[in-house]
Amino acid sequence: MYNLVMKDLKLAISPFFLILPVLLGALMLIPGWIYFLVILYFCWITVPIMFGQFRAQKDLLFTSMMPITKKDIVKARVIVMIILELLHVGAAMIFGVINIYLYPDPSPYFFGPYMGFWGLCLIMLAIFNVIFIPMYYKTAYNFGWAALVSIPAAMLFAGVAQWISISSPMASDIFIGSGVHNTGLQISILAAGIMIFVALNMIAYRIAVKRFLKVEIL
Amino acid sequence: MLAIDIRNLNKKYPNFQLKDISFQLEKGYIMGFIGANGAGKTTTIKSILNMIHIDSGEVRILGKDIGEYETELKQDIGCAFGGVDFYTRSKLRTLTEVIKKFYKNWDTDTYYNYLRRFKLDENKKVAELSAGMRVKYNLALALSHGAKLLILDEPTSGLDPAARDDLLDIFQELVIDGEISILFSTHITSDLEKCADFITFIDNGQIVASSEKNELLESYRLLSGSESQLNQVKDKMISYKVNSFGFTGLIPSGDFDSSSDIRAATPSLEEIMIYFAKKEDMYV
Repeated sequence: MYNLVMKDLKLAISPFFLILPVLLGALMLIPGWIYFLVILYFCWITVPIMFGQFRAQKDLLFTSMMPITKKDIVKARVIVMIILELLHVGAAMIFGVINIYLYPDPSPYFFGPYMGFWGLCLIMLAIFNVIFIPMYYKTAYNFGWAALVSIPAAMLFAGVAQWISISSPMASDIFIGSGVHNTGLQISILAAGIMIFVALNMIAYRIAVKRFLKVEIL
Repeated sequence: MLAIDIRNLNKKYPNFQLKDISFQLEKGYIMGFIGANGAGKTTTIKSILNMIHIDSGEVRILGKDIGEYETELKQDIGCAFGGVDFYTRSKLRTLTEVIKKFYKNWDTDTYYNYLRRFKLDENKKVAELSAGMRVKYNLALALSHGAKLLILDEPTSGLDPAARDDLLDIFQELVIDGEISILFSTHITSDLEKCADFITFIDNGQIVASSEKNELLESYRLLSGSESQLNQVKDKMISYKVNSFGFTGLIPSGDFDSSSDIRAATPSLEEIMIYFAKKEDMYV
C-alpha cells in the first residue's frame, strides 16, 4: 500500500501539484472573497491533469503487471487523492489564520475562514470524491465524465451552502456573524465535516473496488 | 513441471472470440506464440495474466491457479507488452527505485549486472532509450526480481535485425539452466525458427497447433504443381494460391499421399501462417 502511494507521488504526480496547494492557499489573503473557490481549484486543475497523466503514462497497465491486488490499487489512489485534498485544505487554513489577523474587523458577505467553513469544505470534497472515484473506476482510465459530474456537484454544494448562509439569518449568524467566535460550535461543524469526509470516502472506495474488479485491462 | 498450463480457455467479445484455448509449456523451455495481427495473441496473454476475465477455462502458472494466487504468482512472472513505455519521462533509476519495492526477491547485484551487460545507463530517461534497449530494461527488471516465467508480448517487434538477434541469444541463455521458461508472442516467424523449442499457433481465436517446433513443421506439407494436379488435392488443402505456373498450397501431412507426383516440401512457419490467414480470406 505504502509502496503504491509512493509510486504515485514519485512517478505520476508532478511536484508542482504538491506546491500548488500553497500557491492556491495564498488566495485566502484576498479579503471577503468566496473562499470555496480556493479549494475548488483542486477539482478544476489538479484532478483532470493528474488523471490525464495516469492515462498518458499507462499507469493502469504498469500497476496491473506488478504483484498488487486490485483492491490495493484503488485504496492507494484514494489515499493519494485525500493526501492532496488535505494539503489544499491545510495550506488554505494556514493562510486563513493569516487572513483573520490581517483583517481583524471584516464585514464579509461570504464565508470567513473559520473552522465551520473548513468543515463545509471537507463536505464539498467528500461529495466530489464520492461521485468522481466510483465513476472513474468504471473504466479506470476515463475521467472525463466523472469530472463533468463530480465537479458541478461540488460547485452546487458550495453555491447552495453559500446562498443559505446569506439568505438564512441563523446560518448567517453561525458562519458569518457572531457564531464564528463560538469555538465549540465551530469545532462541532468541523468535526461533522471530518466525519462526513471519512464516511463518503469509505463509500467511494468500496464502490470503486467493486467496479474496478470488473474492469479488464486492455 | 508445467510453467504454463491453459485448458479450455474461452472468452467472448461482440466481434471476437477465444475458443477453447489449450496449451502447455514445460518449465525451462521457450515457446513461441504466433499468429497474425488480431488472431488473439495479446488477448490470450492478458487472460493468462488475469488482466482479462475469462468466461470459462483454467489457467495455471507454475502449478497454481492464476485467479487464486495472482499476487503471489506475479512475484515469479516477468511480463512485458513490447518495451517499457510507461512513465517515459522518468529516469531508469527512479523507475527502478519504485518498482523494486514491490518484489520480495529483488536482487540489486543481479540488476546492476544486467544493466552492465545490456549497456543500460540508469541516468537516462525511458524516452531516451531505443526500442531494443526498452525491451532489455524490461528484461533486466524481470530477471532482477527472480522471475521464473517470462511472458512477453511481441518483444521483438520494431527491433532491428541485430537487436532481435541479440535478444534471442539472451532468451536462449536464460533457459539453459532449466529454471526460467519463456512464452513470447510474435508475428516475426524467423525469430521462432531461431530460438523456440515449442510453437503455439493461434488463428482467429483458436489454437491451430501447439507442439514441438519441428513436429509442427512436419505436420504440414507445402505443395506445388500444375493446375491439373491441384484438382487431386484441392479439397484437402488448408488454402492455396494459383498463378500462371500452377499452384502452391498447404496441406496437413496426414492428408497428403506421398506417392503422388505433386512436389512437396516442409513449409516454414511463415508459410504455415500465410496459408492459414489465406484460408480465412477464402471463406469470407
